[in-house]
Amino acid sequence: MKIKEWISDFQDFYLLSGRGLLGLVRKPFYSKDTIEQMDYAGTGSFIIILLVSLFIGMALSLQLSAELSGMGLKMYIGRVVGVSIIREIGPVMTALVFAGRVGSGMASELGSMILGHQVDTLRVFGVDPVKKLVTPRILSSLIMLPALTLVGDAVSILGGYYIAVFVSLQSGPFYWSSIQGVLNFENVLSGSIKPFIFGYLIACISCYMGLSTKGGAMGLRRATTKAVVASFIMIIVADFILTRILLYVLGFSV
Amino acid sequence: MIEFQNVLFSYGAREVLRDVSFSIDFHEKVAILGGSGDGKTTILKLIMGLLRPDSGKILIDGEDISSKTEDELREIRMKFSIVFQEGALFDSLNVKENVAFGLREYRNLSEEEVDRKVRTLLKRVDLQDAMELMPEELSGGMHRRVAIMRSLAAIEPKMFLYDEPTTGLDPVNADIICKLILDLSKEGKGFIIVTHKIFDAFKLSHRYMFLKNGTIIFDGQKEKLIYSSVPEIQVFLSELNPRSKGPSAIDLGEKNV
Repeated sequence: MKIKEWISDFQDFYLLSGRGLLGLVRKPFYSKDTIEQMDYAGTGSFIIILLVSLFIGMALSLQLSAELSGMGLKMYIGRVVGVSIIREIGPVMTALVFAGRVGSGMASELGSMILGHQVDTLRVFGVDPVKKLVTPRILSSLIMLPALTLVGDAVSILGGYYIAVFVSLQSGPFYWSSIQGVLNFENVLSGSIKPFIFGYLIACISCYMGLSTKGGAMGLRRATTKAVVASFIMIIVADFILTRILLYVLGFSV
Repeated sequence: MIEFQNVLFSYGAREVLRDVSFSIDFHEKVAILGGSGDGKTTILKLIMGLLRPDSGKILIDGEDISSKTEDELREIRMKFSIVFQEGALFDSLNVKENVAFGLREYRNLSEEEVDRKVRTLLKRVDLQDAMELMPEELSGGMHRRVAIMRSLAAIEPKMFLYDEPTTGLDPVNADIICKLILDLSKEGKGFIIVTHKIFDAFKLSHRYMFLKNGTIIFDGQKEKLIYSSVPEIQVFLSELNPRSKGPSAIDLGEKNV
């Protein structure tokens, strides 16, 4: 019975994800809802991403400085910080913060709409809940997570610069030239694809968990927790798979 | 006409409705009574096609709706106006936008026409000054009144479906809602009211169905109901007059009709 339920849940999840994505190209378009979601996901997360990114960048730079100075390689701080942030830490860290803030919000909002019969009311009015509720959230995540990642990467690199220059006493222009050196096609592509995939995953998982809420306040808590936990796990798993694929496609030797 | 033929419905492993059969004409005033979790709301959702039965048939005007798609159900749903428990107003929209929601979805009206229609509807329930308020700023009674007006803003239903319309309301507000329900049914339109408040059911309905563990254990008129020897029904009747059960309850109910 459990296995049958899991299979059924997976099937529902894939159907929701597919229908949510198809909604992007099928009328009607709920542009007002999409803008509202973009505001909530993007503007609302901006300060948190700035703060987290700044401190991650500074911590990374500190760690590298401590490690590399022992080997006399402190001049590579900029290069290592750049590659780590652009390719890996930036997209993953931003996606985790996004899942924690925006994903949980999506799940709890949709869950309370389910419990309050608002989703049923939409259906009574002939409105497709997937088009009205899921598609705007997918679209807003597809736009806002890459944008936030870009901002987060920049701030992390800036944090790394502060530590490298004012704490490790490295040359500022050399730090920037190292950063410019790693801003090549392969690294930028590698770091740009991930946020789109992560954004789609977070929106689909959170919407699915929210829309399958059952059982009052306890059910809502369960749905929100499951949305965040599942999103975190899927971000990490997807990151590994994407890294493996991208390294292979871009011709990096491992 | 609504017909349920041997309908069985479960939420996962829990059977909610077991072999339920009945038929209701659109002009009837029916109260579905029963305890929490006995399947009262499920019946309303099945009528609207919001849930699908595991087995059995649900016929609306002779059409089996059990296997219809969402698009096909749209036409069926236009025959009813449903008000969910606690109103189910959209949190993100103000009163005006909530009432206008159906108008915007179903009809191609100008902003002036939408505004005029919404004002007329809200005036009917004395809420014309609450247009800009958000749902969280409304009292329970106001919530229900807005929800009732929203449900009939865009359509001309054949029948009204009310899910616990007076639950959680003080007697004054419950009375306002009951009067509104009766007022809306004056043009020969019937309703199904799902409630566990037998006092309100007696004020409003002519036919009573009592659900217990997903089975209809009573279906008939008030006189038959109050003399029922079923213990669960007797417990419900005791709400009318806590000191004595049975016949004295009739007077309490009829005085308020």
